[in-house]
Formats: sequence, C-alpha cells, structure tokens
Amino acid sequence: MSQAAAAALRCRGLRVGYGGQAVLHGLDLDVAAAETVALLGPSGSGKTTLLHAIAGFLEPEAGEIQVDGRLVHGPRASVPAEQRNVGVVFQNYALWPHMTALQTVAYPLRRQRLPQADATERAMELLELMGVADLAARRPTELSGGEQQRVGVARALARRAGLVLLDEPTAHLDTPLRARLLAELSEQRRRSGTAALYATHDVGEALAVADRVAVLRGGRLVQVGPPRDVYERPADAWVAAMTGPASVLTVTVLGADREGLTLRIGDDRATLVLDGHGEADAGRSIRVLVRPDWASLGGDLRAVVRAVLYRGPHTDYRLSTPAGDLELREPGPPRAGVGDEVRWTLRRAWSLGSGTAPPEGATPRLGPG
Amino acid sequence: MPEARGRWRFAGWLLLAGALVTLVAWPLLRLLLEGLDAGPGRLVDAVGAVGLAAVGNSLWTSALATLAAVGAGLGLALLTERGTGSARRWLRLAILVPLLVPDFVTAISWGRAYGPAGLTARLVGWDLPGLYGPAGIVLVLSVAAVPLAYLVIAAGIRVRAEPDLERAARASGATPFTAFRTVTLPLLAPVLVAAAGLVFVTSMNAFGTPAVLGRPAGFGTMTTRIYQDLAFSSADVAFLRVVGLALLLVVLGTAVVAVIDRATPSPERGGGPAGTPPTASSAPWPAMVIAWAGVALTVVLPLLALLLTALTRAVGLPPLPENLTLANFGRALDAAAIVGLRNSAVLATAAATIAVLLALLGTSLAGRRRRLLGTAVTLTFALPGSVLAVAVLLAFGATLRDTLAIILLAYLAKLWALGQRPLAAAADRVPGDLLRAARASGAGASATAWTIAIPLLAPVLAAGWLLVFVFALHEVTISALLYGPGTATLAVVILNLQQLGDPLVTSALAVILTALVAVASAALLILRRPGWSWVSLP
Repeated sequence: MSQAAAAALRCRGLRVGYGGQAVLHGLDLDVAAAETVALLGPSGSGKTTLLHAIAGFLEPEAGEIQVDGRLVHGPRASVPAEQRNVGVVFQNYALWPHMTALQTVAYPLRRQRLPQADATERAMELLELMGVADLAARRPTELSGGEQQRVGVARALARRAGLVLLDEPTAHLDTPLRARLLAELSEQRRRSGTAALYATHDVGEALAVADRVAVLRGGRLVQVGPPRDVYERPADAWVAAMTGPASVLTVTVLGADREGLTLRIGDDRATLVLDGHGEADAGRSIRVLVRPDWASLGGDLRAVVRAVLYRGPHTDYRLSTPAGDLELREPGPPRAGVGDEVRWTLRRAWSLGSGTAPPEGATPRLGPG
Repeated sequence: MPEARGRWRFAGWLLLAGALVTLVAWPLLRLLLEGLDAGPGRLVDAVGAVGLAAVGNSLWTSALATLAAVGAGLGLALLTERGTGSARRWLRLAILVPLLVPDFVTAISWGRAYGPAGLTARLVGWDLPGLYGPAGIVLVLSVAAVPLAYLVIAAGIRVRAEPDLERAARASGATPFTAFRTVTLPLLAPVLVAAAGLVFVTSMNAFGTPAVLGRPAGFGTMTTRIYQDLAFSSADVAFLRVVGLALLLVVLGTAVVAVIDRATPSPERGGGPAGTPPTASSAPWPAMVIAWAGVALTVVLPLLALLLTALTRAVGLPPLPENLTLANFGRALDAAAIVGLRNSAVLATAAATIAVLLALLGTSLAGRRRRLLGTAVTLTFALPGSVLAVAVLLAFGATLRDTLAIILLAYLAKLWALGQRPLAAAADRVPGDLLRAARASGAGASATAWTIAIPLLAPVLAAGWLLVFVFALHEVTISALLYGPGTATLAVVILNLQQLGDPLVTSALAVILTALVAVASAALLILRRPGWSWVSLP
C-alpha cells in the first residue's frame, strides 16, 4: 500500500511507554482510504494502546501520526483528541448513562455546532441506519449489549470521520449477535467509504472483516498483509498459531523436480507444492505448517488417530504422525475411531524454515508455482 | 450466610431484638415522650432566641463547610482518579490523614499553628484572624470533612465516570472542559449530592470543633448549646431546650439522610462491561502543587505545631533544639489521664467487640428483616452524639448515671452501624455457591459458617472491629455529656484541659491520643489493602 498521500492513517516509528516500560516499539502502519485493516493480537499485545495513541487519548514518546494526510502527532505538535476527526467504537460501548440513544448520537453533531434540530434529525437517520431507530428514547441500561453497541457505532459514524477505530467492538456480544453486527459493520463501511482500524483477538473476525490484517505481538507488527496471506503464508510459527488452527511437522527435503518438492515423513514420502522460508536443499530438515484443510484422509502416509471430535458439518481428527501431531479436518461424520491406523495425504504445506527465524522481509518461494 | 435453624435462630433474633430495643427504640422513644409531655408550645418557648441562634449558627457554618469540603473533595478526586502513578498514590494517602485525627485535636492543632500565640505568630508574626470564632469553625470543619467528601466522590468517579465515557466525548469532538461539563459533571451529580449530605450531617453533629474554637468567642452551635445546658445548668428551661434541640436535630438528620438515600447512586454502572482503566500519566503539575500546598498548610503544619508544642519546655519558647523536651509527656500522664486512658481503652474494646458480635448476628437475618435492621442502625449513626447521649440519659440515667455502662450503651447505639454495614455488604458478596459447595461436601449449617463463611469474612470482621475501636477512641461528644466522677475518657480529659489551661500538657495528651488512633487506623488501612482479604471491603 503506497497511497501515502491519500492514506486515511499513517503511523511512523510510533513508540509508546507507560512508566518507563515500552508498550509499542517504533510501529509503522498505513490504512488507505476506505480500507479496513484488522489489528490482530492477543490481549496485552498493545492493540488498545495503539488505538488510544491514534485517537489522542495518550501521548506517544516518539513517532508521527497522520490522519487523512494531516499530521496530528509529531515531534513538535500534538492535536488534541477532539480535533483529530477520528471516530471511536469502544469495547465496553462507553455509552453515557445519563443520555438517551438519540442524545448520544446527536452529541458529536452538537459539538460540530450543528443546530439542535439538524443534529437530532441526522442522529435519527444514523440510528435508522443501524436499525435501532425505535430505541431512540432509551438510556443505556434499557438496551441489550448488541443494541448498545449499535448506538456506539452510530455515534462514531456521526463524526463523518475518514477513519473509525474499533476496539474489539464485539468482544462482549454472543456469537450470533456478533456475526450480525459484523455483517452490518462491513455493509456500513462499504456504503460510507470510511476507513477502519479494527482491533480484535478473534482470528475469524479479523479474516472476515479486513482488507488487510496486521498482526501485533508484544508491541511490534510481525506481519501485515491480506487475510489469505497471513493465513496461508504466516511469517513464523507464532503468527501461524495466532491466525488459525495450525500443526507444525518436522520433515526432511529429499529433492525438487517439476511436480514439486519431495519430502520424507517418517519412512514415507510425499510430493507437494511447498512455499515458505529458507533453503530447500536436499537432506535438510525443515519445519512446515499444515492447516487442517491442507491434508485429507486416504493416501500413502501412515498415522494413528489420537482424538476424534465430531462437529456436525465436519469432523476434526488429531493424528499422530512420525513427523509430529497433525490436526486434520474432513467433511461429514467420523470415518475412523481413536487408536485406528489410518492413511492420509499431505496436499500442501508452508515452510517455516529450519527452525531459525527467516531474515527480515525475505519470503523466498521454494519449488515451482 | 447460612440460616441457622431452630432454637439458635430464635435465640439470635431475641438477642438482636433486645439490643435494638435497648439501644435504639427505647432511648429515642423516651426522648420523644419527653417532648410530647412538655408539648410543642413549651418546647418552642424553651428553645427561644438562644436556641434559635444556635440552630442558625449550626446551619450556616455547616453549609459553608459543606461547600468548601465538597469543592476540595471533587478537585482532589479528579486529580487522583484520572490516572495512575506514585505521585497520585501519595497524594491519596495524604488526603486521608485528617481521618486519623480526632476533630477536637484538629481544632486544637490549628490553634497551636495559626492562633494568637501559635507557631506562625511566633515565627513570622502573623496569626489567622477569626480562628477562634465562626470563621475558624468553618475552616476546621471543612478540613476535617475533606477526606469524607473525597472518599465518596473518588468512589463515585471510579464507579460512574469511567475514563472511556470521557474518551468517547473527546472522540466526539468535545474539548476537555466540554467533556467535563456535559459528561463527567452530570454523571457525578448524585454523588456530589450524597457527599454534600454526608458532610452536612457530620458538620451539624460536630461538637469538638465548635467546643474548642467557638467557646472563647462565645459562639455556640446546637451541639455546644446542648452541652452547656446539660452540663452547667439545672434550670427546667435549659433541660427543655436540650430536648427541643435534640428533637430538631433528629428531624434535620433524618431529612438529610433521606436525601442522601435518594441520591446515592445504584451500584450498577451505565451498562456494559468494564472499560479501559485510566492510563499512567504524569498529573498536571500546577494542580499537584496546589493540592500538596493545601495538604501542607491545613494538615501537616497544624499537626507539626501540635507536636512542637508538646515537645517545648515552656509556653512561648521558640521551637529550637535547646528548648525541646519529653518532660511534658511525663507530666501529662498524671493520675487523671491514666484513668482516662484506661476508660477509653475499656470502652473502645467493649464497644468494638459487642458491635461486631451484633453485626455477625445481624447477617443471619435475611431479606426484609436485615434491611430493617440496617435502616435502624444507620439512622442512629446519623443522629448526633449529643442527641443519643440525651436519649440514653433519659432512658437509663436513673440507674446508670455516671457509670461507664451508660457511655457504652450510647457508643453502641452510635457505632453499631459501623460494624453492621461493611459486614452485611461483605456477607452478600460471598458467592452463595461457596456455601452450597460446603453443604454439598457434607458440612452442616454451623460447620459451613465456621469453616467457610467466617474465615472468608474474618478480614471484614477485623476491619469492622478496628473501625468501631477508632471511632470510640475519637469520641468526645457522647462522653463529654455522660461522664461522671472517675468515668472521663482520655478525650474528655483533653477537652477539659484545653479549656482550663496548660497548652503544653494538653498538646502532649493530644499527641498521645492521636498516636493511638493512628496505630489502630494503620492496622485498618493494611486490612483494606487488596490481597489481605478474600472478599473486597466496601
């Protein structure tokens, strides 16, 4: 993404610390206009801190922040939160207990000196947009969690900001509500053309909502890329585990030809397409990532079933292979029981290199394709 | 708490009912009967111009002190609660220091610091004009009430005005001032009303401060008027005036408590789960400087002046090393003071132990009965000590006059709530499943109480005991009215000495009393620290 001029957000070398302890270590992040970037990381990785620095709720120690091409924080100047034109949706909704839904959404409009009547009218439109117009006269205690968060989103949209920050907006909602709110959020952003930075620790959510996913670990961005990239080509084993179910097998490279790479798994051999880090010299032992849908039952490789979990539409198996434990997912009901010896096929894998970390930014492609 | 069964339960009820009648119902009824007996006409005549002046003085000094204390409490609470960090933690502790000092000791210490012969008068030739009079009373009442206002408001900020709510306003385009005006202040309005009501009642009930600072100027409030009439007059009119003023205080106190009750915010927040806590950030330094300067001038300097006076060889000497001595402490601990110390210790220990036992019994009640008990003991806690003393004297004076027992009865009536409220709140917070798990593990009702409930509540019991103990040591209003030959408490000894003369000995005794209170309070603070109790203390 090199649309620096039109970027909705541009962070450079952002460093934040609390009482001498660094929380963000020189972070670079861009969000293009109308783009949604998911900020994925476990709790304590610095997601909320980053959002608070961008919104202006806390003062970074170093670095620059630009919103819509305007410098809002730099070495010389810092724009106060209320002048940054950034909408914020809070994890705990942060609805004011003494205001009705309508007053809440009209609040940002009143701060823009919109006359009372206009602000109320516009706020009503936004509540309609979020499907909660009939709750306009209610206070937060009279709203369910999902309804509260809709009001919170309407308030953030009322600023008509070029950028909306969402801090785990669905964290406190139950699963069906979460799915509905996510779908609505995507629809809203598509229509309004607002860029969004969406913090979450839920990988399913990140992959589903985002144009790009930024993976945060201990205050550093360890990978930024489209959802398929971070899922299929994670930067390392930690990102692999963070971005979905992952098994890591240790295999030996036997050789490469036009059909792909031949690997030895225990006493068996498998030929497959392998992308990833590091050299694929013959005889070298490497670690490969396998997602549950990259392997299937039936084939040449041998394994023993350790666990079977029937999930309805599909079944999860845990296999014990000579190269390590493997999670495998097959459609339909269970086809093998615990303790059975089964055959399986490895269709695809992603090399994590030979155990040492890959050089910064280098993701050489191995084999054809 | 598990509900004890059968005979035990009945015995518990009987004890509680007996205590409630003896300590609360009968004395207050006696007071009311005394008033009805005289009739409204004679009461009004008896109160007269003297009484009305005292009522007026109480009202306006308390109102001014309330304004000052709530304003200062709000400012300080915003300063300490809007962020974390060690600077804020230290300020929080410093603000609470006046809680450790009995109010009449604060008044005495202000005299030593800013009075005509005080520390500043000797060092820079300046003394606070009007310290002995209404202005001084308002000042010292405010200083003594700031920690109370601060505690209520700070708790309100933590519960009701989460930082995310202000952040949401800022992100909506509100300047810091607009966010404060449109979000923080409306959210805190009920908390401020509750704090103001509490401070107002406390100031109306204050006796030590007006007794020390008002007497020299001939300025009387309701509580000092009652003291004068009861202690120094045997005229029927004076006694009727006491009854009239006491009944008036009951009405005023009840009205304010009703207002507080209405305004006290419900514990639930605006809805939604907890938000992001305040971040570590340096507090604005000009505000910090003002806050520390205030603490230094209103709390630290007076206490320092008191200590220096207690250590000085003779009245009027400057506090230089060659003039310092410990001899005053030796002189102070004469026979009368030793007896006072013993009486204070006995009364405080007995009151604390019985109040905690009563509170423990109270938790075995359920539902409406528990609430009724809570209301009754809270009401007597809100009543001025002077009123309770008069009521207890009317009810038991014939048989118990001039004994420690009559003081103890009044103490229990006053301080029962201090044991009852925290324990009831904590008992409600012990998850019922913990007790059910014990029952499911084969423990009977009493085994469950002894092995699960009481160990869990032990820190709260200890805290309640210490709280009652500290308040009883502090106490001077009730004991000043009820003491007789040989039953004066240490506080009464100090108050009498203060009026008669030797400032060195008075200061030394005040330092001793404050040190005792401080030690007990320090134990209380340690108990309140997280990690020391399984159940969070209210």
